[in-house]
Amino acid sequence: MTLEIKRVIIAALGGLFLLSLVFVQRMETARKAEEAGLRGPHIAVPSDSKACVDCHAEENPGIVSHWTGSTHAERGVGCYSCHAADREEADSYLHHGVQIATVVTPRDCANCHDAEADEFAQSHHAAAGNILASLDNFLAETVEGARMDFNPHSPTPGRAIQVVNGYASANSGCQQCHGAKVALDATDGGVVTVDDLQPDENGIPTNLDAVGRIARDENGRPLINSRTWPNTGIGRLNLDGSKGSCTACHSRHDFSPRRARQPENCGKCHLGPDHPQKEIYEESKHGIAFRDLKDDMNLDAENWVLGEDYSAAPTCATCHMSGNIRNGGRITHDPGERISWTNRPPVSLAMDTDINHEIVTETDPEARRALIHDSWNQKRDRMKDVCSNCHTDDYVNSFYKQYDNLVVLFNEKFAKPGLQIMAALVDNGLRTPTNFDEEIEWSWFYLWHHEGRRARHGASMMAPDYTHWHGMYEVAERFYMALIPQAREIAQHAAAGGRRSAANAVNAVIDGILSRPEHIWFEEGAEAQTEAIRQAMERRYGVPNR
Amino acid sequence: MNAVSRWVGERLPVSGRQFKELTNEPVPYHLKRWWFALGGTPAYLFIVQIFTGILLAFYYEASPATAYRSVEFITNEVAFGWFIRSVHKWAATLMIAAVILHQIRVFFTGAYRRPREINWFIGMSLLICTLMTGFTGYSLVFEQLSFWGATVGANIADTTPLIGPFLKNMMLAGSEYNEATLSRFFILHAAVLPVTIVMLIALHITVIRLQGITEFRFKDEEGGTPKTFNFFPDHLYTELIIGLVLMILLSALATIFPATMGPQANPLQTPEVIKPEWFFYVAFRWLKLFGGTAAILSMGFIIFTMFTWPFIDGWFRKHTKFQEASVWVGVFGVLAVISLTVWEAVARH
Repeated sequence: MTLEIKRVIIAALGGLFLLSLVFVQRMETARKAEEAGLRGPHIAVPSDSKACVDCHAEENPGIVSHWTGSTHAERGVGCYSCHAADREEADSYLHHGVQIATVVTPRDCANCHDAEADEFAQSHHAAAGNILASLDNFLAETVEGARMDFNPHSPTPGRAIQVVNGYASANSGCQQCHGAKVALDATDGGVVTVDDLQPDENGIPTNLDAVGRIARDENGRPLINSRTWPNTGIGRLNLDGSKGSCTACHSRHDFSPRRARQPENCGKCHLGPDHPQKEIYEESKHGIAFRDLKDDMNLDAENWVLGEDYSAAPTCATCHMSGNIRNGGRITHDPGERISWTNRPPVSLAMDTDINHEIVTETDPEARRALIHDSWNQKRDRMKDVCSNCHTDDYVNSFYKQYDNLVVLFNEKFAKPGLQIMAALVDNGLRTPTNFDEEIEWSWFYLWHHEGRRARHGASMMAPDYTHWHGMYEVAERFYMALIPQAREIAQHAAAGGRRSAANAVNAVIDGILSRPEHIWFEEGAEAQTEAIRQAMERRYGVPNR
Repeated sequence: MNAVSRWVGERLPVSGRQFKELTNEPVPYHLKRWWFALGGTPAYLFIVQIFTGILLAFYYEASPATAYRSVEFITNEVAFGWFIRSVHKWAATLMIAAVILHQIRVFFTGAYRRPREINWFIGMSLLICTLMTGFTGYSLVFEQLSFWGATVGANIADTTPLIGPFLKNMMLAGSEYNEATLSRFFILHAAVLPVTIVMLIALHITVIRLQGITEFRFKDEEGGTPKTFNFFPDHLYTELIIGLVLMILLSALATIFPATMGPQANPLQTPEVIKPEWFFYVAFRWLKLFGGTAAILSMGFIIFTMFTWPFIDGWFRKHTKFQEASVWVGVFGVLAVISLTVWEAVARH
């Protein structure tokens, strides 16, 4: 072989090597830029979703754009991965040649995220739809609205209003957080829900008559009842029998972990007069630190483990769900796993839960112990694991004493007595069984549902103003200035109406309560305490208290 | 002036004639061709590496607790730190590429043949040292991929029969990646390997000087073309021009594609995708293809074959009719290296 031929071989191989080097460097530079967060990851649209992406990029570019920025897109999880459906599913339909369903449920997400779906299914979040038969729902469906459609009583200029939806407040209010019972329009004018479909363990309807009643458009697409959809309430009751909606926290279609980790995400529902957790958090040192140090929160970290990926501040997710270095980075999708009091009911309950994750209400100690599967103390220890990343054990334990004290104070001084008075009124026939038709029922509801929760939640998350001024102060005012006088007045009217024994019974309950040491100041005065406070002020400030 | 010359001459007793002989050896005419000047390119890039490496070492702290932050500090805070780091990174890439191109040239022109077998060994040793310097340097950043790259590298070494655990232990300064691992990598990267490379380069050049450069005569050189030309200044100019072009190329690469930083190493979290630096793509893909001990043994065999190729080639030429077997083996080898490297670059996992 001549030197000239070898020269050609060297040139060809050298050139090929340099070309491959340029190509490899291009790939490597892109990969490193991706790792450093300087460039979005390369997205390859899965073949089964290519047609969806092509069309929806034109029709609904936002959907595709959000998905393009998601981890799903990065890992090749396309539209069809989540929207695929069996022909037997109640809401499935043939869409441009592929069988899909519009509503993606936790059952669909569980195809990949089964552990998360299991945890979520056991959580109180998943059961949030149970409110659909509660006192709150009575408010929305009866007091605020009506459990019926009714005719408008006068015209609305410019609009031809034919009917008033009595459920509108529940549909747009309660159910957007708690979750709707998703319904399909029926051919008979009614609706078809999970109750009618009776799905089996795979989510396939067993009641074929109900399936036959499903109304469909000219393309065979089932018509989802507009009162129940769109809905991303966290306890949504789905047609396949699953409960909940993962998109309640993991907003579609980017399913951003970064967003789920931020308090604003929870603040869609956990805010307002009855459970202002978001505002309480913002008032707390935790929220203040988060606002200031958000840039140090490493919110894009893959696992986001407290003590490892960040320590700047906690968010809702940090304390209630995310992993921390002390628990080995274990994440939970059941926020109740770390909550030791439930402050939802009028009287706070210790979060001892049974095998079905229901709160144990048994009072006999022996029987109670047998029922408890996961005690409030175990739950508290899990939360303490989180706290201890930034606080000493003494600090955490003392905080919990303060929190317990406030909850117990509320329970004993106002909640249990309030319940006692309300029960006495019913027991003696001085209050109707219907809620919210008498002033005292509104007073009681405000006391525990709004003000009482604010106080307890305020104490649970270190927000002094919510604990005191928005909380216990208003509880006390409602108790002494509304509940007691209104109960007395009801008794007085009863006595005047000839129902003396009923009135006496109610008054006896009220007197019993007000004669307790913690209430005695109200009717017998508290001059001694006032004088003690005056003297303390004088000692401290050198001037008499005015 | 005479006094100065005398003063210097007394202390450095080298005459002008001797100095000229030392520096101005006639070099074969074929070195006028650029691609025959590739031997000087890695040497030039090595000097760039030493210079930029010293600057980086002023700030680098070799411990797991501080390494990442110190590189971050170099990149974001130190004046021109990002540029120096980027030049260091790209010079490493170009140096390895230049070594490989040089070796391709030497291989296909048969310049390793008798009596230059020893210089082939030295060249192979330089290649191994250069790759090891690249590996240890990549690990120093202490980002996720460099940490896991080192861990995977050590685990691969562990699969070597008999001496695997010993090799892993030597690499990591223990059975697992620990506090001492980074300082070990740093000492290897910044002291042991560079000094070894300097000594090998000195030996390489000494052997070249002793034996002279292989002479080639191309057809277009026949006739009146002189056999040699002067090293100084003619060939030095060639090298200087190559050096200037490299400097421009390095500056451009460093500016357009500056060295980035991935997430900090997290021993508790294995990244979904682990990739070594590009020059180990071929070995990584080989490992994925053949797995564990088989891959290690076969790679060891290939490296052994590369070292001893002058003798294997000699045997072939002496005992068979395949006089140009080395060319076809070389073509196959280079194409295999390129294919496996590109394959690994394209593969996500």
